[in-house]
Amino acid sequence: MKKKVAIVFRLYAQVLLLYILSEIGNFIVEISRLPLPGNLVGMLLLFLLLITKMIPLHWVSEGSSLLLKHLSLFFIPVAVGLMSYKDLFLHQGWIFFLCILLSLWIGMYATGKVSQTIALKQEDNVKENLKSGEQRYG
Amino acid sequence: MDKFVTLYTLAVTIGIYLWSVHLSKKYSSPLTNPVFLSTLLIIFILVLSHIPYAEYQGTKEVLTFFLGPATVGIAVPLYQQRKVLYQNLIPSFAGILVGSVVCMLTTILTLKGLHLSSEVVRSMSVKTITTPIAMEVAGIIHGDKVLAAIFVVLTGMLGAMTGPSIMNRMKIYHPLSRGLALGTQAHGIGTARAASEGELQVAIAGVAMGVNGIFVSILVPSIVVWMIN
Repeated sequence: MKKKVAIVFRLYAQVLLLYILSEIGNFIVEISRLPLPGNLVGMLLLFLLLITKMIPLHWVSEGSSLLLKHLSLFFIPVAVGLMSYKDLFLHQGWIFFLCILLSLWIGMYATGKVSQTIALKQEDNVKENLKSGEQRYG
Repeated sequence: MDKFVTLYTLAVTIGIYLWSVHLSKKYSSPLTNPVFLSTLLIIFILVLSHIPYAEYQGTKEVLTFFLGPATVGIAVPLYQQRKVLYQNLIPSFAGILVGSVVCMLTTILTLKGLHLSSEVVRSMSVKTITTPIAMEVAGIIHGDKVLAAIFVVLTGMLGAMTGPSIMNRMKIYHPLSRGLALGTQAHGIGTARAASEGELQVAIAGVAMGVNGIFVSILVPSIVVWMIN
């Protein structure tokens, strides 16, 4: 029982820390007038703090993995908002779907093909280097 | 009374979500995608219980509150997988950047070609980035925040539902590329889907979601000014 309370408390503290960082991000955006979302600045800030070891990973890792595991849940209420745009979607919904699917598939093809081609080429180079190394030194 | 409605809808939302996650693990299919299935069932229940969306706001506020800290939390997988990212820096960044720009241009051109209102075009131009960032950026480029969020979720849902099989057809088999494509084009929902493909895929999808969020936030204001005005 004591252990469980400790876990809940730790998760609470970690999520609170992540929340404070997103608020700091919002504050930075407000004073600097950067055209960037505050939570994104908060994310970059945390990444910097982790790289420079100013925040140890175990201070945020459990809270973050809990939130990311249930990321889908936090989107659902937004999606339910569809019901208040009923008319718009009844009239133009098929266009939206068409456009989303089209750009999604083209985008996936672009991301996938470009990265796959370069990654395979890099791996080939590594193999060739190994092979020529073997011939030279083997 | 309001508090009672919020408590009721919150319980319904979380309950249905947990059940649909359980179902999606048991029967993996595009139709059991947790966001898709939960949204459908919740709308059905709200309509049956005569609760308008305005009274669902309490639940929405409680749950969307977590999107802020969750976005910051993406820094953790980004940090943990930084070595994979450093090793694949060039293919990853090239893939995310090209995919991101191509997708934005396709979206804006298609909608403009079909003569949709500038507000719809603006709101949809941010559809590949994760909801909390998308809502902020939509505000910056004068789109409709709520509509943008709906497009984002629809995109993620369709991406997670169709992505893996479409990539099979397109002969995109490299785990790095599959993770990148899911994260870049279908943000958090795609990342959740990538988790069922493997550890590398989900890590790189998380990275792609974050990096794509940065790219789009920086690029979209000037692309919108250039193409719409």
